[in-house]
Amino acid sequence: MGVKFLLDGLRVLDLGPGIAPSFCAKLLADYGASVAKVEPPAAGDPARRMGPFVGDDPNPEKSIPFLYANTGKRGITLDWSTASGRTMLHKLLDESDVLVEGFSPSETASSSISYGELAQAYPHLVVTSVTPFGQDGPYSEFEATDIITCAMSGLMYHSGDSDREPLRNALDQSLYVAGANAAAATLVAVFARLTSGEGQHVDVSISECLAAHLVQPVPYHNYMGATKGRRPVRGSGFEELMPARDGYVVPSVQGSQPWETVADLIGLEELHDPRFASGAGRIANGEELKALLVEGLAQWDRLPLFVASGERRLVFGMAQDAGDMVACPHLDARGFYHQVDHPVAGTATYPGMAAALSERPQQAPAPAPLLGQHNAEIYSGELGYGGDELAALRYTGVI
Amino acid sequence: MSNRPLENIRVIDLSRVFAMPFAGANLADLGAEVIKIDTCQAQFMETTRTITGPFPGNQPGELWWEQGGTFQTLNRGKRSLTLDLRSEEAQSILKELVSVSDVVLENFTPRVMARFGLDYASLRAVKPDLIMVSNTGYGHSGPWSNFGAMASALEPTHGTGAFMGYLDDNGSGKLSPGSVPNKLGNSYTDFLATWTALLSIMAALLHRAKTGRGTWIDLAMYQAGAAFIGEGLLAYSFNGERTRRIGNRHTSMAPHGCYPCLGEDQWVTIAVRDDEDWRAFCAAVGQPELAALARFATTPQRLQNQDELDGIVAGWTRARTSYDVMEQLQRAGVPAGPVLTAAQALKDPHFRHRGFFENVSHPDETGLGSRDYIGRGWKFSESAAEIGGAAPLLGEANGYALRELLGLPQSRMDALVEAEIIGTEPIGGRAPSQVPLETQVELGWIAGYVSDYRGVTGKSPPPQGEG
Repeated sequence: MGVKFLLDGLRVLDLGPGIAPSFCAKLLADYGASVAKVEPPAAGDPARRMGPFVGDDPNPEKSIPFLYANTGKRGITLDWSTASGRTMLHKLLDESDVLVEGFSPSETASSSISYGELAQAYPHLVVTSVTPFGQDGPYSEFEATDIITCAMSGLMYHSGDSDREPLRNALDQSLYVAGANAAAATLVAVFARLTSGEGQHVDVSISECLAAHLVQPVPYHNYMGATKGRRPVRGSGFEELMPARDGYVVPSVQGSQPWETVADLIGLEELHDPRFASGAGRIANGEELKALLVEGLAQWDRLPLFVASGERRLVFGMAQDAGDMVACPHLDARGFYHQVDHPVAGTATYPGMAAALSERPQQAPAPAPLLGQHNAEIYSGELGYGGDELAALRYTGVI
Repeated sequence: MSNRPLENIRVIDLSRVFAMPFAGANLADLGAEVIKIDTCQAQFMETTRTITGPFPGNQPGELWWEQGGTFQTLNRGKRSLTLDLRSEEAQSILKELVSVSDVVLENFTPRVMARFGLDYASLRAVKPDLIMVSNTGYGHSGPWSNFGAMASALEPTHGTGAFMGYLDDNGSGKLSPGSVPNKLGNSYTDFLATWTALLSIMAALLHRAKTGRGTWIDLAMYQAGAAFIGEGLLAYSFNGERTRRIGNRHTSMAPHGCYPCLGEDQWVTIAVRDDEDWRAFCAAVGQPELAALARFATTPQRLQNQDELDGIVAGWTRARTSYDVMEQLQRAGVPAGPVLTAAQALKDPHFRHRGFFENVSHPDETGLGSRDYIGRGWKFSESAAEIGGAAPLLGEANGYALRELLGLPQSRMDALVEAEIIGTEPIGGRAPSQVPLETQVELGWIAGYVSDYRGVTGKSPPPQGEG
């Protein structure tokens, strides 16, 4: 590492489990925090059992979601339900600024990480809890996976086609969005500590993080009693995914360019019909326009159309798959991708940070830790446990 | 409203549309003084003030530029200073303002900011420890950096459509992974930029407190979108998997999906995580005999027989409300939850209990009364985070920003009004025409509407003939 970065010196303990709290802690690591991931001995974080796996080999060191959500961390094992485990957890907390966890509120309340006890023992500590529905309320103990939190956030109702069932959001979007929210909210609490000197509890609700995206559907209801729907199946085809020669594109009339520029780009003479030149005309003649659009777009491949659009200050899009994204020359030029070598999973191209920051160019993160990889480094090197003690703890299954 | 963590932070918000204005709104919720740079020149006003709406009763009123519901959501708790940035005087005023502020938010193209002399290098010259977010479609470097972007086209471009799509029915009797990308919509990418900006600004504020250094945050929406599907990109790097469009199914859970319920366009989601969930599900739906069937006994077998399973599950949900399904399955410990509409979310007992929606009173002249707005996904045990008030009336902080903060004399203020550089009403422009709601239903823009809806609580007088 070497180069100082924004959160240099911030010490974070990540108890997991799963994606949302782990991604929160990964983002803090990306910004320079020193993060230790604490996993149950033997089983590890349940995310280690999530597929897909590298080479389809269900090895706990080869879970792709785990490998992504845990870069930049050191890893230790600890059974903090045992008495000696609890003592060790407390030693770790003595050296931490932030604890991130995602257990159910009743689970934490009855464990050694109940917020009440932590606040008393570690008044400086910021504790961030990331759960499906938050710490209180009638659903706080409900079971959920990503599709449930997407649905109950209100966002899923709007995704997919209006004549079919709502469609789950890509991958585990609610968990990644909640992780980013949790990282931001954690830093708000760390910032507040600069003046108060005290930590606090940050209560992050995964479903509410996604519900905060409803900046149109909620006022549609509250201002005019209307229900914003899913993707309309009728219309002129603009702002929607439409077939091109080698895949799908999104033709767009948005931005500040006149219709002629759009018609010119697609290159079909009939599109210059003045009936299509206004928004109202495109709505009135939607079906006819869509047919012409299909004909015009069939002459184009995605990338050349996209680049030609950008050069004319239009804002067309194209549907890219994961292979297109990893090969993207633009992201490559921005230094987004990194080669990361993991001792078991092997070397691969990893996506980097969402934002580029002036204080430091993007750097390759350390790979996700192996289960218990840094036990000796942290327990002996930093907490001062002797070799015999560690052997005994290992023998009794504490680490 | 003491104890808001950003009370001593001043933010100059030059941004428009959704992503960065919403980041500014969240900073305002946290106590920052956020001064929105507006303009009284109607042709350059941001679209959320002019055309986005929605307007009360779908009818923009006399003060239409104050009445957009999405504008109100994205700009709550801010102040408003008008400046026509085409004028050099406005540009130099803005620089003075930046010199007494902490954070700048902007989402102009690189060309525009440089032309105004307001790029990071120029602003850092007047405020050396400035924290600035420059949010564009593709960022300030790389071959596509000058391309514009809007979320509806950007979302599939950054790859989410590779991991979203319905299953294909090719007539073989078995559904297969889809070939057509789909999207989340609702300007999804904008919010990925919102959360990334918030996280980056907080990290930069901590860094500044420690080192005295500022940070420039070059935030490309396209890149943010890629980072949030990082798991999918890594799956390609390792395994060459380009797409995964499996509808509402899951690679390691079954049944897993979105099922129809009683009522129009009502749905429930269910995720049976493992064999234990499956047995609990069968008992909860009163069909214990299903649990005894060998072809459904284990996850691999259920994954094999999903088409049949989905039919069984839908047959049970169809006769029940989505809330009943949730209650019944959650009692048995099986993950289930309704696909809520905004109207349902606003009434939902859990959201209400948590205070997720916050009620805001609007100035009388806007005629908006008081209404509920979305809050945020996090709460603090000690610090306060809450909506500080309605979105600002156009130019309401002209006096505050120019006289109080910058010490401009009244004569210069008058000259700025005279030159139409500042003002409190739009110059030019008119209320946007609205498509009637019944037509919007026909066009598929909205799913439906309540014909006599008012949505106003509190101050506003009741309509004629009521009470």
